[in-house]
Amino acid sequence: MSELLPEFEFVRPKTIEEALEVFKAKPQSRFCAGGTDLVVNMRRGFVDLETLIDLTSIPGLKNIDFDQGGLHIGAGVTLRTLTENSQIATIFPAVAQAAGSIAGPNHRETATAAGNLCLDTRCLYLNQSHWWRKSNDYCLKYKGDICHVAPKGNRCRAAFSGDLAPALLVYDAQVDLIGPEGSRRIPLKALYKEDGADHLSLRTGELLISIFVPSNQARSAYEKIRVRGAIDFPLAGVAVSCEDIDEVTYRFKLAITGTNSMPIVIDVPDLTIENTDPDAYFQAMGKLIQKAVSPQRTTTIAPHYRRLSIAALAARIARGLLL
Amino acid sequence: MNSPVKHTVAGKPVPLVDGIEKVTGKAIFTADMETTDCLIGRILRSPVSHGRIIRLDTTQAARLEGVVAIVTGEDCPQTYGVIPVAMNEYPMAREKVRYRGEPLAAVAAVDVKTAEMAIDLITVEIEELPGCYTPRESRAPDAPQLHDNKHGNLDRDVHHKFGDVDAGFAEADLVCEETFSCAEVNHAQMEPHAALADYDPERGRLTLHSVTQVPFYVHLTLAQCLEMDTANIRVIKPFVGGGFGARTETLNFEIITALLARKAGGKIMMKLSREESFLTHRGRPETEVILKIGLTQSGKITAIECETTQSGGAYAGYGLVTILYAGALLHGIYDVANVKYDGYRVYTNTPPCGAMRGHGTVDVRHAFECLLDRMANKLELDPFAVRRSNLIKAPTFTANELMINSYGLDECLDKVEKASGWQTRKNSLKPGHGLGMACSHYVSGAAKPVHWTGEPHAVVSMKLDFDGSITVLTGASDIGQGSSTIVAQAAAEVLGIDLSRIRVIANDSAITPKDNGSYSSRVTFMVGNAAIEAAQAMRKKLITAAAKKLEVHPDEIDCEGETFFVSGSSQSELSFHDVAIAALAQEGTINVKGTFSTPVEAQGGKQRGGAVGSTMGFSYAAQVVEVKVDVDTGQIKIEKVWSALDCGFAINPLAVEGQIEGSVWMGMGQAMSERTHFIDGMHTHANFLEYGFPTIMESPHIDVQIVESIDPLGPFGAKEAGEGALSGFPPALVNAVADAIGLEANFLPLTPDRVLEALIKFRRSARRREAIA
Repeated sequence: MSELLPEFEFVRPKTIEEALEVFKAKPQSRFCAGGTDLVVNMRRGFVDLETLIDLTSIPGLKNIDFDQGGLHIGAGVTLRTLTENSQIATIFPAVAQAAGSIAGPNHRETATAAGNLCLDTRCLYLNQSHWWRKSNDYCLKYKGDICHVAPKGNRCRAAFSGDLAPALLVYDAQVDLIGPEGSRRIPLKALYKEDGADHLSLRTGELLISIFVPSNQARSAYEKIRVRGAIDFPLAGVAVSCEDIDEVTYRFKLAITGTNSMPIVIDVPDLTIENTDPDAYFQAMGKLIQKAVSPQRTTTIAPHYRRLSIAALAARIARGLLL
Repeated sequence: MNSPVKHTVAGKPVPLVDGIEKVTGKAIFTADMETTDCLIGRILRSPVSHGRIIRLDTTQAARLEGVVAIVTGEDCPQTYGVIPVAMNEYPMAREKVRYRGEPLAAVAAVDVKTAEMAIDLITVEIEELPGCYTPRESRAPDAPQLHDNKHGNLDRDVHHKFGDVDAGFAEADLVCEETFSCAEVNHAQMEPHAALADYDPERGRLTLHSVTQVPFYVHLTLAQCLEMDTANIRVIKPFVGGGFGARTETLNFEIITALLARKAGGKIMMKLSREESFLTHRGRPETEVILKIGLTQSGKITAIECETTQSGGAYAGYGLVTILYAGALLHGIYDVANVKYDGYRVYTNTPPCGAMRGHGTVDVRHAFECLLDRMANKLELDPFAVRRSNLIKAPTFTANELMINSYGLDECLDKVEKASGWQTRKNSLKPGHGLGMACSHYVSGAAKPVHWTGEPHAVVSMKLDFDGSITVLTGASDIGQGSSTIVAQAAAEVLGIDLSRIRVIANDSAITPKDNGSYSSRVTFMVGNAAIEAAQAMRKKLITAAAKKLEVHPDEIDCEGETFFVSGSSQSELSFHDVAIAALAQEGTINVKGTFSTPVEAQGGKQRGGAVGSTMGFSYAAQVVEVKVDVDTGQIKIEKVWSALDCGFAINPLAVEGQIEGSVWMGMGQAMSERTHFIDGMHTHANFLEYGFPTIMESPHIDVQIVESIDPLGPFGAKEAGEGALSGFPPALVNAVADAIGLEANFLPLTPDRVLEALIKFRRSARRREAIA
C-alpha cells in the first residue's frame, strides 16, 4: 500500500516553444517546475499523465526585474528567492511574507512562484492514498460522482490553498500566459474560478510564464491561520494592503485564500478618519469578511473557526497598517 | 552503591555509543536492508470499519505473473496478543473485520508494482455492519457487538477502592468534580514500520528482522502463530527509529511477513507506508476522565474519586494494562490515603490502541493536575504550595501498595519555581501571557512482567577474550533512548576501564540473552543492574588473576583505572592486558553474567491487577510552562518551558537531558495539536501533514534540570528518565492558559479552533454571570 510513483515519460525542453511543442504532441502531459505539490499528488495517484514536462532548464524563467512600471517575477523564481529579495520585502512586503510562510525551507528551495499560483485545490477527501479514496468511492474532483464535503451540491468544494495569490491580488498583479493560441496578459484575478475541480482558467496547453506587479506605494502584510507555524497549508490566509489617499483617508485592499475554491478579493470602503470611528470601521470590516468567505469541511478544522479567525486576523492586520 | 560516590564513567555526559552510525547515516535500519534477493510484500486492508467477510477471492491475483505467495486469514487460525489472557486478534481478519485498515490478505511478488497489482486483483465481499466509534455508541443498549464474548463491548472494567473515600470527602473543605476529554494520539515515530523475514525451507528455520521494541515477545508470538518451535526462529532487531510504545507488542505485519516468507520459501521485505504505520496504531486511547478531589483549607488532599473511560479500538492488545495504569498511578506522586477508581476500556471500530509513552497515566494525570490547580485557586493557595502540602515521605508504600524508596519531587518543585521566577513573575505578566505548572511521575519498569515465568527480569552476559576487549551481550532494545550506552557505561564504571574497551552487542536471539524488551522504562533500572552484576563478576575474576600473578591475597589488590597493583605498593603494577592474559591462562575465554530480579515487596498489592503500576522506583517531574494566547484567533504560543526530573542518578546526563526534552516535546504535541481523526471510522489523519505534531517553529526553549534522589535499588541510584516528564506538560499548559486568559479548558488538544470556540462560550457565560450580578 505504499505509493509507488506511476510510470511516465520525462522530457526537459530547453525553450518555451519546445515545451509547447511537446504538449501539442503529447496532450496527456503536465508541466512541472518545483514539483513539490504535483509529484506528491502523482504519488497519491490522482494525477493522470503520460508525460511530465520539466521546465527547469528553460532560461529566463528565474528572473526578477524591477522597471518603471513595476516588478516582473519569472514563473520559475523559487519561493526562497522571493522571500530573500530585499527589494520585494521593502516594496511589496505581503509578497515576501506570503512566500516565506509557505511549507518549510526545503520546499521553498525548489517550489516556484507560478507553481504556487497554479497550486491544485486541496480537500480532506482528496489528499489521501489511492486505497483511501477507492474505499470511499472517490469524489467529484477525481473519478467519483459526489462531493463528500457538500453531497447535495453539484460542484467540488476543494479549497484553494496557495499563499502567494492573495499577496499579489492586493497589488492588482497580472500574469503572462503563453499557449498554442499565442500569448496573453490577464489580471491574476481572472486566472481563478470558483470550482475546486477546475479552478484555473488556463486553456489547454497554456503555461504561466511571468507575473507583473504594477508599481504601488501601498503598505501591505500577509498572515495565515494554521495549527503549526510551518509546513501547514493555510486554513485561511489574508493579504491586506493600505494606501494613503490623503491625510485622513486610507484605502484597504483585502484578498483571502484557503476559504474558497479560489482566492477571493474583498472590496471594503475607504476609511476616513475624520468621520468614522476606527473601531467601528474595523469591526464592520471583520463582519464583511465573515460574510464574504465560505470555508467548507475540507479540513479537520471547523469551517466556522476559519471564518471567525480570518476575519479577526484581517481586521487586525489592516489596523496595523494605519500610520 | 547508594551513597554519593565518585564515579569515573557513570554520571558522565558521553555521546551515545551508537551515535556516530546514526549521524553519519551508516546505521542500517530494517527498511535499509539489502533487498536484491527479496520478494516484496504488500498487505490488503479492509475498506470498511465493521463487517462480515462473505468472500475473499485470490484466484486472479495468484495467476498474475510474478506473484509468488498469497496469505489470508485462512493461513493463521491462531489469535495473538501481548496479554496472555486477552489474545483476541488475528494477524489477518477471519470472518469479521473490526476496523478500517485491518489486514485481510497479503501477497509476495517479485517487485513492488506486481505486488500492488496483485493486491488490486484480490476481490473482497464484505457485508457491512453498523459501527461503533465512541464509547457512548459502543455501550448503547442496542449497539452492534464487536466481539461475541464481550457483552456491551466492554473489554475490561476495573474497580479499586483504597482507604475510606467517603470519610475523606467529608473531611474536605472543598470538593470539586470535573470531566476532561483527551483526544486519541499516535506515537508518530519517525521510522515507518518494516520487517524482513527469511525462511529456510530445507531446515525449517525462520529469521526475522523487525523494528520492534520487544524482540522476545515477537519471537514467542511467531512461534505460536506459525506453530513453530522457538528453537527454529531467530529474531534480530537492527537500528530502530523510535518506539514510544508503538512497538511494545508483536504487530500484525511482523506475523504476516513471516507467514509470507514461509509460504514463499524465501525472503520477504515488507515496508509499511506512513498511512499503514498509523493504522497499525497502538497509540494512546481517547479518554474521558471524571475526577473528584477533596481538599482541606490548607491544601491537603483528603480523597480522590476517578472514573476513566478509554476508547480502546477494535482489539484488546495492551488495553487491560492501559486501563489499570490509569488508576494505579493516581497513587505514588502525592500522599493520598483514600482513592476510588473505576476504569472502563471499551471496544470501538477503530484501530487498536496500546502502550504509548506514559502508558495509561497521561490523561488522568492531566485531569488531576488541572483540577488541583483550579481548586488551589479557589482556596487562594499557590499552585506550588498545594503540591508541597501533599508530598510523600520515602521510604513508604502507597495505599495501593506501591513501593517508594526515593522521592525527589520536592527538589524538582524548588528548581522549577526558582528557575522560572514564578514567585515574582506569576502575577506581573502582560495581558494574554500566563504561567502554569504541574507535576508528574512514572515507573522505572514494571515489577511484574506480562509474561510471568519466575526467571530474572534481566540478564547481561559479558565476555573477555585474548584481545583484551570486553563484549557485553544484552537483549535490551536500543530504540534511540540510549540503552546500549547505559549498559556500556555501567560495565566500564564497575570494571574501572575505558569506555572504548567495551563493545555492546544487542538484540539477536541467537547471540544475546533474552530480555523482555524496551517498555515501561525498565531498561536502565533492570538491565543496568544486571550489567553491574556481570561487571562485578568479571572484576572478581580479574582481581583473582592479578592476585595470583602478584602472589598476594585478592583483598590486597587495588585498581586505578586499568592498572592493578598491591595496595600501598607502587611496585609490580599490572596492566589490564597483563591481567586479562593471566585470567585467560586459568580458564580460557571468560564468560560471566549478571541478572536482576525485582524484590517481592515491589510487586504491588494483592488486588486484581495490582501488579500494574508496581515498580522498584518512580521518577518524578515538575514543570512550568509560559504561554501567550491570541484571543482573536485562539492560537497559543509556548514562550518557555522549565522542567526538572528526578531520575535518581543520571548515568548519562546528556541522554537524560535529551529524554526530558523529548518528553516535554511529545507532551507539547498532545497538548497543542496532535490527535487522530475519524469520520465514521474512516481515518483522515494518517500522514505527517494532517496529524500535526509540532514543528521546530513551535519548540520553545526548554530549561532542563536534573534531580538526583539516589534510589537505593537503582543502578548507581538511577531510575527512569524517558517518560516521567511527559504528562506534566499538558496540564501545565492548560493551567498557563487559564492564568493568561481565564479560560479553563477541559479538552486536549488545545487546537486554535477549539480554544476559540471555548473562549466564545466562556465570554458568553461571563457576560451572563455579570448580568445576573
